[in-house]
Amino acid sequence: MFGVRLREAGWGYGFVAVPIAVFGLFFVYPFGYALYISFFHWGILGKQSAGTGTFNYAKVIHDPVFHTALKNIAEYAVGVVPLTMALGLSLALVINQKIRGRNFFRSAFYFPSIASSVAITTIALYIFNASGLFNHIIGSHTPWFQNAPTVIWAIVGLNSWTSAGTAMLYYLAALQSIPTDVYEAAAVDNTGGWRTFWKITFPLLRPAHFFILVVFGIGALKLFDQAFVVSAGQGGPNYSTYTPVLYIYKEAFTSFDFGVAAAAGTIYFVIIFALTFVARMTVGRQESA
Amino acid sequence: MSAGAASQYIPARARSEVARKAFFYAVIVLVAAIFFVPFIYTLTTSFKTLPDAANVTFLPHPWTTSAWHTIWTQYDFKTYIKNSVFLAVVITVCSIFLSGLGGYAFARLKFPGRELLFLLVLGTLMIPDQLRLIPVFVMLTNWHLIGNFNGYILINLVSAGNLFFMRQYFLTIPKDFEEAAKLDGAGYFKTFWRVMLPLSLPAISALVILQFQGTWNDFFWPLILFGQGNPSHYTIQLGLAELNFQYGVLWPEICAGSIIAILPILAIFVAFQRYFISGVVSAGVKG
Repeated sequence: MFGVRLREAGWGYGFVAVPIAVFGLFFVYPFGYALYISFFHWGILGKQSAGTGTFNYAKVIHDPVFHTALKNIAEYAVGVVPLTMALGLSLALVINQKIRGRNFFRSAFYFPSIASSVAITTIALYIFNASGLFNHIIGSHTPWFQNAPTVIWAIVGLNSWTSAGTAMLYYLAALQSIPTDVYEAAAVDNTGGWRTFWKITFPLLRPAHFFILVVFGIGALKLFDQAFVVSAGQGGPNYSTYTPVLYIYKEAFTSFDFGVAAAAGTIYFVIIFALTFVARMTVGRQESA
Repeated sequence: MSAGAASQYIPARARSEVARKAFFYAVIVLVAAIFFVPFIYTLTTSFKTLPDAANVTFLPHPWTTSAWHTIWTQYDFKTYIKNSVFLAVVITVCSIFLSGLGGYAFARLKFPGRELLFLLVLGTLMIPDQLRLIPVFVMLTNWHLIGNFNGYILINLVSAGNLFFMRQYFLTIPKDFEEAAKLDGAGYFKTFWRVMLPLSLPAISALVILQFQGTWNDFFWPLILFGQGNPSHYTIQLGLAELNFQYGVLWPEICAGSIIAILPILAIFVAFQRYFISGVVSAGVKG
């Protein structure tokens, strides 16, 4: 009996050995290593001096570019998350009707979510350029993605269009889990469609609202690809596409200051963690109550 | 409800039903147009000449394949595609195999410290890329794994999300199958390989598709690990971004490149959309 158990344990360790090694080496250990690096002057050739301290943190916290990056990402998240949710819910409500070809439309709306972000951004740059299709239709010459006041909102529009399909899928799953007798009761009471939606459907979707808010909120805070492609990795014009992740990237690979980059990564991790925690404590608590 | 009570509403409701249907069809066709037009416009632009690309017209005049020819020969998109396919295939195979193996052990085998190790797996889901970026880059630089594919493959050998997904799926499979295999004298690996993996084909299909798509579209890590310097290692996404930065006005070429970057995923999506959609929903709801 003892031998059988030992054999099972041996195979168990064998099966999880590689995954655990990869997770330990490239996730858990880097977590501590990032903290370590953040307390040193650390360049492309490694640790530069013996001096330790919180100077990298001080530098990030007082850096106006980091403040701009935080302001940009806050504007972006406040714009993109509700817009994606509204679009996703609208699409889900339409797809949830008994209409012909709903599987086709569902796939069509979902597709931009899985297409390459670089390619989608490239196509947007083409369609929204100063003399492109979009400006032709609305009769304008605004270079939406090259213009400091408009670019973050252009990315908001682009990404809510792209990821609305994913939100739609989550909402569809939630809509389909609402028991039909709720609607039958509303029909008996002769409640109108619009009223049924606001009084019954929308409140019943609260777990889905919360889930999508957290998932898309965290996703929004990590904006990088689109900002990078739009600005050729520069965060311009005039720092308008600087995001915190792009800030970390540029501190590391343009300024080659890994200490500052690691400090910024740590600070930003704490910010995202705190926001997630607050969301869980406020909206999430009401949810489970 | 009684038939009498219902009948007095039927005529009015039937009429409003028709109006409602018509409204939904109108909305859906309009929205679908917003989703399709950019892709079709990009496709037709890729067959335009450069001067013609400045005209806001849907059909090229004249039609030409010169942009496709240029990116294929001059800008080396065939190398980028080869690199992307190679990485996506290698990483998908490794990640699904190791996730399955680990998921099976966590779901079924008993060994001391299993729960603790599983907690570690779940914990990795909370460590974001922007925090790992610097230490992982420093480590891979020290080991000379920057500038080639080895470091990228190594950090993507297995993912916690995939492992968790496989474990959850294995937990739903009745134990009878394994016991039958055991009676036939199969060992743990053989049970995993010949019994559990075939039984979890729906889960594997979903993960294969999502992992392939994820690696194909990945931009962040390739940019950091082999995106600066030698274009012979560029993936399709890096190549397209570079084309954008260097030749931002060559619209036909850029549109052709975008189509290439999207097309394989579109093909897989059309063929396996059922798995895509079920995978996204179950990964989202359970995860």
